[in-house]
Amino acid sequence: MIKHFVDFVTVVFGVLLLTFLLIHLVPGDPVEVMLGESASVTDRTALRTDLGLDQPLAQQFGSYLTKLSQGDLGYSIHTKTPIIELIKTRYPATLKLAVLSLFIGLAIGIPLGVFAALKANHWQDFVVTIVSVRLSAMPVFWLGPLLMLLFAVWLGWFPVSGMDDSTSIVLPALTLGLGLSAILTRMTRTSLLEVLNDDFIRTARAKGLNENTVIIRHALRAALLPIITIVGLQMGSLLAGTVITETIFSWDGIGRLLVESIEKRDYPVTQACVLVVALSYVAVNLFTDVLYRLADPRVKFGA
Amino acid sequence: MLKSIKSSRFKISVFITLLALFLAACQKPAPYAEINFAMAQAPLNLDPRYATDAASARVNRLIYQSLVDFDANAKPIPSLATWVQVNPTQYRFVLNHQRAKFHHKKRLTAQDVKVTYDSLVRLKDSAQAAEFANIQSIQVLDDETILFELNQPDRNFPAKLIIGILPQDLIIKKHDFSHHPIGNGALKFVSWQNKLTLSRVNDNQKISLVEVKDPTVRVLKLLRGEVDLLQGDLPPELVKYLQTKPEVEVNTVKGANFSYMGLNMQDPLLENIKVRQAIAHAIDSNAIIQQVMVPNTRIAGVILPPEHYTNALSPTMQPYAYNPVLSKQLLTEAGIQLPLKLVYKTSTDAQRVRFATIMQAQMQPAGIQLEIKSLDWGTFFEDVKQGNFQLFGLTWVGIKTPEIYVKALGSQSFPPNGFNRGHYTDAELDALLANENWPAATQRIYQQLPYIPLWYEGQFAATRKDIKNYAPKPDGNWDDLITITRQSLQTQQQKAQLQ
Repeated sequence: MIKHFVDFVTVVFGVLLLTFLLIHLVPGDPVEVMLGESASVTDRTALRTDLGLDQPLAQQFGSYLTKLSQGDLGYSIHTKTPIIELIKTRYPATLKLAVLSLFIGLAIGIPLGVFAALKANHWQDFVVTIVSVRLSAMPVFWLGPLLMLLFAVWLGWFPVSGMDDSTSIVLPALTLGLGLSAILTRMTRTSLLEVLNDDFIRTARAKGLNENTVIIRHALRAALLPIITIVGLQMGSLLAGTVITETIFSWDGIGRLLVESIEKRDYPVTQACVLVVALSYVAVNLFTDVLYRLADPRVKFGA
Repeated sequence: MLKSIKSSRFKISVFITLLALFLAACQKPAPYAEINFAMAQAPLNLDPRYATDAASARVNRLIYQSLVDFDANAKPIPSLATWVQVNPTQYRFVLNHQRAKFHHKKRLTAQDVKVTYDSLVRLKDSAQAAEFANIQSIQVLDDETILFELNQPDRNFPAKLIIGILPQDLIIKKHDFSHHPIGNGALKFVSWQNKLTLSRVNDNQKISLVEVKDPTVRVLKLLRGEVDLLQGDLPPELVKYLQTKPEVEVNTVKGANFSYMGLNMQDPLLENIKVRQAIAHAIDSNAIIQQVMVPNTRIAGVILPPEHYTNALSPTMQPYAYNPVLSKQLLTEAGIQLPLKLVYKTSTDAQRVRFATIMQAQMQPAGIQLEIKSLDWGTFFEDVKQGNFQLFGLTWVGIKTPEIYVKALGSQSFPPNGFNRGHYTDAELDALLANENWPAATQRIYQQLPYIPLWYEGQFAATRKDIKNYAPKPDGNWDDLITITRQSLQTQQQKAQLQ
C-alpha cells in the first residue's frame, strides 16, 4: 500500500511538472491573448508581473505547488472564474458520461463476447466479429452524428445534443459505449476461448456442473483479468474526458474544458484539468488493482 | 354563524381571484416559447471593456448601448449621443433625451459615460484599454453632456466610442459585468449556465444562445427544431443542404469580412513585387468562390468592402485574373528558379485547410509548390504575430474604420505597435495614409500587394420556417435578435389587433 502511495505521489508530481514545462514551451502568450497586439510594452510588463509570469519558471512552479497544497487552483485568466468552480461543474458531467458509457460497454460487450466464444467458428461468431470490428473502427465523430440522425432527427427519441434534458446523456453515452463494447467483445471472446480448453473447465464439466455455472462461475471469472485491464484503461480514458464526443454533443465535461483552455493559453485551467485527469487515472488504476485481487486471490498488492 | 363564515370565505376567494386576474392583466405579456440560437463559439466575456471575441462583441451590442454606431457605409453615426468637434483635441457629446434606462432601472447620465471610459482606461488587463490611451480627460458638463479631451488630434475618435456604457453605481461596486451584464440595450441578461439566456426588454421574449461547436450537429439541431436559428460558420455544402429542406429558410447577404493571404516582406523571395504578383495570378479566387463558398461571397480588392464610404471615390479595382502562364513568366523575370517552394500556414479549421489545398493545386501549373502547415489556433496565431511565416491565411472581421490601413500596413505598425505582421514598409503609402487620401492609398495597396486579397465571405442565416424578422448582416452581427419573432406570435398579435 505504501508503494502505491509513493507511486501515486510520483506520478502526480511528474504529470504536474511535465504539464507545467510543456505549456510554457508551446508558442502563445496569455498576456498577448488578453491584451491584444496593440497593448503597450508597459501594460504588458505590468500584467505579466500581476500574473507572476515574469518570475523564473522554477519559482512559478514552486508558488503553484504551494497554492495547490492549500487547495487553491487559482482563477481562469480569461473568465476570471475560480478554477475550482469550473472543475466542480465540469467533472461530474464527465464522470456521469463515463460511468454510463462503461455500463453500456459492459452490458453489450461481455454477453456478446461470451456468446461469440461459445459459438466460436460458427456463423454467429462471424457476425459478432464483423459487427464488433466495424464498431471499433468507427470514429466517434462519424458514429455520433449517425446516432443523432437516427435517434434524434428521424425517430425523435432523444435530443440531438446539449445537457438540458435528462435523456441528453443517452446518445453520447451510446456513442462511447458502443465503441467500448466492441473492444470488450473481442477481448472477452479471446480470453474466454483460452480458458475454455483448460483442465479446470474439463474438471468442472466432469463433476456434472450445469453449463451456465461452468461458463459464468469458472470460465468467465478466470478470463476476467485481461478484461479488467481493458476496462481500467478505458475508464481512465473516459474520465480524462472524451474531447471529440463532448464537443460533438455539446457536453460540458472536463475534456472540452481542457481543450478550450489550451486554445486560449489559459495556463491555470489547463494545469488544473491535467491534474484532475492524472488523479482520475491513478485512482482508476488503484481500483483496477483491487479488482484484480477480487477476481484472482493469487494476485497480491506489490507482488 | 356558519353561514356567515362561509359567505365571507366565498367573498375573500372571489376577491383574491379577481386580484390575481387583475395583477396578471397588469403584467407584461407572458414569455413566448424561447427562441434558440446555435453558434459555433459562445461569447467569452460580457463586460464590453474586456470583450475581444466576435461573439461577445455581437451580444454586447444588444445588452449595452454605445455613444456611437455605424451606418451601412460604415460611417460613424449617433447612437446614444450626438457630437461636435470643439477643436482638434476636444469632442463634446450630448446624450439623446429619449434613451432607455439601465436594466436595473437607473437613468443613464453623462456620469455613467465618464465612469465607464475612466474605468476602461485604468484597466491593466483589457485589450480595449490601449485604444483609449489618447484620452487626456473626460469632463461631465451636465447630466447630458460630456467633453472628451485628447492628447493628440484624432479625426476618427468618435468611431472608437463603441464601447457599451455601464452604470456607474455598479462599476464603483466592482460588479461582475463579465458574467452578469447590466446595460441599457434592447436585450437584458437572464442567466448563463450551459446557455446564455437573454430577455427582450419590450416584450419579455426569451432568446437563448447556445454553443454547438460541430457544424453538422448545428444543422441536425435546426432540423429537429431544438434550435431556431443558425448564422454563419457552416461549410457551403451544409448551407446548400439546408436550402433543400422545407422546414428551413436560408437567407444570404453580401459579406464585409475580408479574407486574405498574408505575406512576409522580410522574406527575400516575397519582398520582390513580381513574386507577389505571380502568387496573385496563381490563385483562382473566382473558382473557389463558385465551388466551395456560401452564396453572396464576393471577390475582394482591399480590406474595406466596396460599399465602405472610403471607397466611394476609388476607381473599381479589377481582381488579379488567374493566369498560371503569366505567373510563371513573372517568376522567371524575377529570376526565381522553378519550382518556387513556399510554406502556407493556416489553422486546423476544415474549411481553411480546404481553401489551402485548392490553392496548392491552383498554384502548381504556375510553378509554385505550396507546402501547407495546419496548426492549432494558438500556435498558428502566435506564429503570425511573431512574423514566423512565409504565407498565411486570415480574415479581418468587423472592421469599420479606415484606420485599419495604418494599423495593418503602416511602417510604424509592426507588432506590438500594430498589426503589420508582414513588416511591410512603404514611405509612399505612409504619406497617403497620413493625409487620409483613401482612394490613392487603396490603389497603392492594390498595386503593391502587401497581401493577396481573396474574398468577402457571404453571410447567411438559416431559420426554422416559423421564425420571422431576422436577416443576416454583412459584418455578421446579430442585431436582428431585437426584432426576431415566431410566426405564431405574429399571428396572435395580428388577431389581437383585429379584435
